[in-house]
Amino acid sequence: MTLLEARGISVAYGGLVALGGVDFAIEERQVIALLGPNGSGKTTLFDVLSGLRRPAAGDVWLRGERVTGLPPWQLARRGVGRTFQIPEPFGALSVRDNVLVGVTFQARRPRTRAERLREVERLLTIVGLTDRAGDAAATLSLGERKRLELALALSGRPALLLLDELASGLSPKGREEVVRFYARLRAHGLTIIAVEHSFAVLAEVADRVLVLDRGTLVADGPPAAVLDSPPLRTAYMGEEE
Amino acid sequence: MKLAAVLLVLAVLPLLGPPAYYLYLFSTAYLFATLATAWNLLAYGGQVSFGQAAFFGLGAYGAALASLHGASPWLTITLGAALAGAGGAAVGLAAGRLNGAALALATLATAELLRGVALNWTALTGGGSGLVGIPSVPSLPAIPLELGGGRVGAYHLSLATLAAALTLSAAVLRSRAGLALAALREGETRGTLLGLRPLPWKVLAFALSGGATGLAGAVYAHTLGAVEPDVVFGRFFSIAPLVMATLGGRSLLGPAAAAVVLYLVSELVFHPLAPALHQLPYAFALIAVTLVLPAWRRTP
Repeated sequence: MTLLEARGISVAYGGLVALGGVDFAIEERQVIALLGPNGSGKTTLFDVLSGLRRPAAGDVWLRGERVTGLPPWQLARRGVGRTFQIPEPFGALSVRDNVLVGVTFQARRPRTRAERLREVERLLTIVGLTDRAGDAAATLSLGERKRLELALALSGRPALLLLDELASGLSPKGREEVVRFYARLRAHGLTIIAVEHSFAVLAEVADRVLVLDRGTLVADGPPAAVLDSPPLRTAYMGEEE
Repeated sequence: MKLAAVLLVLAVLPLLGPPAYYLYLFSTAYLFATLATAWNLLAYGGQVSFGQAAFFGLGAYGAALASLHGASPWLTITLGAALAGAGGAAVGLAAGRLNGAALALATLATAELLRGVALNWTALTGGGSGLVGIPSVPSLPAIPLELGGGRVGAYHLSLATLAAALTLSAAVLRSRAGLALAALREGETRGTLLGLRPLPWKVLAFALSGGATGLAGAVYAHTLGAVEPDVVFGRFFSIAPLVMATLGGRSLLGPAAAAVVLYLVSELVFHPLAPALHQLPYAFALIAVTLVLPAWRRTP
């Protein structure tokens, strides 16, 4: 069943075209690797899909409902979860309270505070942050912030996860952890669009690859077929080959 | 528990038989502490108000007008607080999309606008000379500590107002609303991506802050027996709570404690030494807080 459909998404910043009519559809439980060089429009596409930016033209459909231009909180309550390349947690709040925000204001939130706190503990266990639960989020390392980002994105029990460079900036060990996270998320049947600087991180989980270049979708298909072209192999598999 | 203990100690202070002047000073300090606590309800959600006088004046005029039309003081105080709460909700709705300096200016403009209305709508407000003859609050036979007229009564009424504001603030900070406001303060965009709808919580914070500020305004009207636009809608009632609460930090008791200390230092230390400069402590506090503001206000 189609979960998400984007038709003719266009966004311009002044005279600069960030997205120029992007079309694609995603089936439930698919894991999509979204690739493209810096400035190709990946984050802008995430901004449109999560409601932070209204496209100048085009429409987004989620489970058959037109959701173009809905504010982020409405999209979040319809099951869109998102992480940022540069994590932006609620700095002065504890790690536990950060996740509690996500658990408390979602559409399918647990009814009592005790149930919400249990859900928070469950999420912190998944991302391995239980020992930092009482610390202010501002004191976390980059790797821990990325894990907190993931817990926040998962807190609304999302149908669609938009993950922006979870592995970037991490140590080799941290990257291995991210690879394992992706495998777990996939095993749970989540639908994911993931941006990673290196496709190697997603190689084992991606069902499909979308490639953006200067705001246009230039390739769409199974990883083997898309990455068969030499320039893409060099660009995205290079350092791991 | 800590809050109840502090309030109890303050409630029995008059038994020590202090001079009436000191009772008056403490009564006024508690009113400012109420205003600082109410201001903090907004700041807790990241909303900075430069116009709390709007709500103080609405509470004062609401109570004064109801009183002059024959309502009992307990009803008039409730009405004054409710009017200011409604005013707060209206400002919150209108300014809900504003943040930072734009919001601060919008609140400042609201207070100035209401001052202008009060000055010019003479038939209702008495114009520049205001309204006089507002009766003081009668004693409650069921409560042993005198609540009504006289300095001790004014002291307890003022303390009860502060207790109400602190109780309200404690309830908000501990609730889902407190979590929502803290999240909006720390990162509104991140919050919205987690399903948090900003507007209702911002409006709620304005309504509660306005209501608590209006409660102090209504009590002020009954304590003084008169209201004037340039006083109750005056800038001092906007700026003083801002300076006091900023100095006090974001905790429950911090803003109230800072208000009491600043007011008493201003009146007891600076006023006798240099009457013309007795507001200097507020200036010093503002400068000090501005210099260390980021670190100080970020303390949860």
